[in-house]
Amino acid sequence: MENEDPGLPCKGGMDLPEQKRGLDPTDRYGDESCSVSEKQEEAPAAPNNGPLNMVVDKVNGQEELREAPEELSDKDVSDSTSIDNTWEDSSEFRRQMVIGDGPSGEEEAVIQSRLATYRDEDVTAESWRAHRKHVFILSEAGKPIYSRYGNEEALSSTMGVMMALVSFIQSGDNSIRSIYSDDHKLVFVQQGPLVLVSVSHTLQSEQQLRQELLYVYDQIISMLTQASITRIFERKKNYDLRRLLTGSEKILDRLLNLVESDPCFLLGAVRCLPLPASLRDSLGTLLQKAITPNLVFSILVARSQLVTTVQEKTVIEDCRLEPTDLHLLLNLIGATSAFQTGEIWTPICLPRFNPDCYFYAYISYLDSECTVCLILLSTDKDSFYSVSDCKKRIEEGMRTQNYLQALSSGLKSPSYSVGLVGVPDLRHFMYKPLDIPDNYRQLPQFTSPELEGPYCSENERHRLFDLYHYLHGRIHSTSRPLRLIYHVAEKETLLAWVTSKFELYTCFNPLVTKAGAINVLTKLLRWIKKEEDRLFIRYPPKYSTTPNPGKGSRAPRTDGTENGFFGGGH
Amino acid sequence: MKPDGKVVLLGDMNVGKTSLLHRYMERRFQDTVSTVGGAFYLKQWGPHNISIWDTAGREQFHGLGSMYCRGAAAVILTYDVTNLQSMVELEDRFLALTDSASPDCLFIVAGNKVDLTDACAFLPESEDKQIEKPPNSFISTKVKKQVHVNDAIAFYRKILKYKMLDEVNAPAAEKMCFETSAKTGYNVDHLFETIFEMVVPVILQQKAEGLPQTVDLNNCKTAKNTHSGCCR
Ligand SMILES: Nc1nc2c(ncn2[C@@H]2O[C@H](COP(=O)(O)OP(=O)(O)O)[C@@H](O)[C@H]2O)c(=O)[nH]1
Ligand SMILES: [Mg+2]
Repeated sequence: MENEDPGLPCKGGMDLPEQKRGLDPTDRYGDESCSVSEKQEEAPAAPNNGPLNMVVDKVNGQEELREAPEELSDKDVSDSTSIDNTWEDSSEFRRQMVIGDGPSGEEEAVIQSRLATYRDEDVTAESWRAHRKHVFILSEAGKPIYSRYGNEEALSSTMGVMMALVSFIQSGDNSIRSIYSDDHKLVFVQQGPLVLVSVSHTLQSEQQLRQELLYVYDQIISMLTQASITRIFERKKNYDLRRLLTGSEKILDRLLNLVESDPCFLLGAVRCLPLPASLRDSLGTLLQKAITPNLVFSILVARSQLVTTVQEKTVIEDCRLEPTDLHLLLNLIGATSAFQTGEIWTPICLPRFNPDCYFYAYISYLDSECTVCLILLSTDKDSFYSVSDCKKRIEEGMRTQNYLQALSSGLKSPSYSVGLVGVPDLRHFMYKPLDIPDNYRQLPQFTSPELEGPYCSENERHRLFDLYHYLHGRIHSTSRPLRLIYHVAEKETLLAWVTSKFELYTCFNPLVTKAGAINVLTKLLRWIKKEEDRLFIRYPPKYSTTPNPGKGSRAPRTDGTENGFFGGGH
Repeated sequence: MKPDGKVVLLGDMNVGKTSLLHRYMERRFQDTVSTVGGAFYLKQWGPHNISIWDTAGREQFHGLGSMYCRGAAAVILTYDVTNLQSMVELEDRFLALTDSASPDCLFIVAGNKVDLTDACAFLPESEDKQIEKPPNSFISTKVKKQVHVNDAIAFYRKILKYKMLDEVNAPAAEKMCFETSAKTGYNVDHLFETIFEMVVPVILQQKAEGLPQTVDLNNCKTAKNTHSGCCR
C-alpha cells in the first residue's frame, strides 16, 4: 500500500469540526459560517507578506465612513493600516508562487491534446507529485471516479486511503474537512454519495478550494442531476459512475483549468462583453421577441462573455439565473461544442437553479467562426423544432440589422486593454459592482481587462491569480474579514478593496507609491463610472412572457430525472 | 422550413459518427470533441430537406437515443472496424433505441476507421497526410481489423429479425453495409448519398399518407406525462 501511495502529504494537523458543514448549494463567499478549520487556516496558510505589506482589519472601519470611493486618501490607508501590520519574511511566499505549471486557458486545441497526455501520466513520477493542484473524485464505496492528473484506475489505492480516512472519521460522527501539511492543503468535500478531494500547494484558502470542489460537483450534477446520482447509488452502492462520465472528463479538466485562471469563478460573477448600451438593448429586445412556449432562458454569449440574457417572467419571479449555472453551462459548451456546426439539443441541469431537473438546451453558433453562441433553455424536451425556429428569427433579425457585424467589432480582442484607463502604473484589475440597478434580479457581473505585459506567460498568470486568490481569501476570511489590503509583492503591488458599492482588486507596477496607487484608484473608478453603460448590463431586458409558460418553474418538469436517462445498462 | 425526413447516426462513443458527418457536410476531417446530447444538421437533397441527427454515444445520454430516433426514416448504426466491442454495443445497447423510428425505417450498418487496418493499404490518403508521415509509420499504425464486412452483414440480418422483417422485402444486406473512413473520406459520400436516395421514396410515401413529416419531436407532447414510456 505504501509503495503505491504517491506521497500524499498528511503529516500536518487534521481538523475535525464537530459539526458537518451544511452543503448549502447557494453558499457563496463572504457569508460562510465560522468553523474550526477556518481558524486553523490562518496559521499555516497565511503567506509571508512583504515587509511593506499592510493589512487593514475590518474593526477599523475607516472606509465605512467614506461612502464615495473618490474620497479615499493616502491618509485613510496609512491610518487604517497602522493598526494591523504584518511583518514577515517574504521569501517563502515567493517560493510557493513559482511552483507548478498547470495548463492555461489559451488555445483550446492545445489544451485538449495536453489534457490527453495528462490522463496517461505516470502517477509514480516526481512530475506527477509536483502539480499545483490535484483533484480526485471517488464514490462513498471508495471507487475512483476522476483524477485530474493520471489515470484514476492507477490511483485506486490512493483513493482507497482517502476513503478510509473519510470513513474512519465519519465513524466518530465527525467529518473530515481538511488536512494541512508543510506545503500542502488537503480539502475534503462530501456531497451525497460522492467525495471530492483537493490536494494543492497554491495560495488558495481552504474556503476557496472547497468552493472549487463544489464547482466540480455541480458540473457533474449539471450532466447527471443530483436526483439520479442519489438514485443510482441507492440502488447500487458500488456503482461505477465512470460509466456515465466517460467522455465528460474533458469538461471537468477544462473546469479545473478555468477556476484557476478565470476570475468569474472566484468572484461569482459573469463577465459581460463590453458593448454600446444601445446595441445590447436591441439584442435583448430581439431575444425577447423570439419566444415559444416553455422557453425560459435566452442567453447570447460571445467568446464566453455575456452579451445579454432574457428570462421568462414566471421563472424570474421565483429566482434568477445564477452565475455559477451560467459558468458551468459555458464550460460544458466550450468543452464539447467548440467548432460545432450543427444545432445542439441536449438535456442540461442548472444545479443552483434546481439540482434535480433537466432543462433542454438548444445551442447554436451564429457565425462561422463559432464566437457568437445562442443558448435557449426550454423545459420541454420535445420543443426542438419550435426552439430552433426562435433561433432562425433571432438570426434573421441580427442579419437585417447588421448586429452580428457590430458584435464582432467588439470581439477583435478577448477583452479590452488596461491602457484604455490611461494610467501607466495600473497593470490589471478586477471590478465587481455591488450596486448595479435592479440588483436582485440581475446576474452579478464583473469587468476585467485582458492580461498584458508581464502576465503573458502561463507561469506569470498563475502567479498573479495566486495573489488575487490570496487577497480574495483575506478579504473574505470568515474569522477576520478585511475591507482593504495594500500588498507589496515581489514583482507587483496589489490593492484589494471592498465597499458596499463594489469589490475591487488592482495590480500595480511595483514601484508605485501608496499615494500613487490611491491616485490610480481614483482615476480607475472614474473611468469605470464613465464606461459602466458599456461594461455592464445596466438595465436588463424586461422579462419575456411566453404564451404558455412552464408552471412552477423552479421545478421545470419533473420528467427530468425520469425521462429514460440511464434507461439502458442497468 | 421543416425537414422532410430524418436520418439518425447511432453507435458507441468514439466510433466516428461526428467525424463522418463532418467529412460529408464540411468536406474535411478535423479533431472532434465528444458530442453532448444530439446535434442537428439540415441537408438539402433535391427538393427535400433531410435532417440528420448526430447523437452522443455515451451511456450518459443513452435514454435519449429513442427521442432522437423518433420517426426516423433511416438509422445508421455505426461501429469501429478496429473495435469489436463497438459492434457488440450496437446489438446490446443501440438496436432497441430504434423502436421509435418510422415503421418503414431503413437500417444501415457502417464500419468506420478502415484506414487504420492493414486490409486497406490501397485507400487514397489525402496528400498532405502523406507528406507529414514519418517513413515507416505506415506499418506501425496499421492495426488488425476486428470486425469484418461479413460480421456486419450478419448483424444486419439480426436487425431484420429483430424488426420481424422479411429478408425478401428488405433491401439486401450487401447493399446496406458500408465500410468507411472519415479520415480519408473513403466511401463517406457513397454512404450518405445512397441513404438519401433510398430515403426519398420513404419521404414521398410519408407525405402521401399524410404522416407527420416534421420528425415528430413535436408530436410527442401527449406522451410527455407517461415519462418512461416516452423515452425508452
Ligand atoms: N483513423 C481514423 N480515426 C477516426 C476516424 N473517424 C473518427 N476518428 C477519430 O476517432 C475519434 C472519435 O471520433 P468522433 O467523430 O468524435 O466519434 P463519435 O463519438 O462517434 O462522434 C476522434 O479522435 C477522431 O479523430 C477514421 O475514419 N479514421
Ligand atoms: Mg460525436
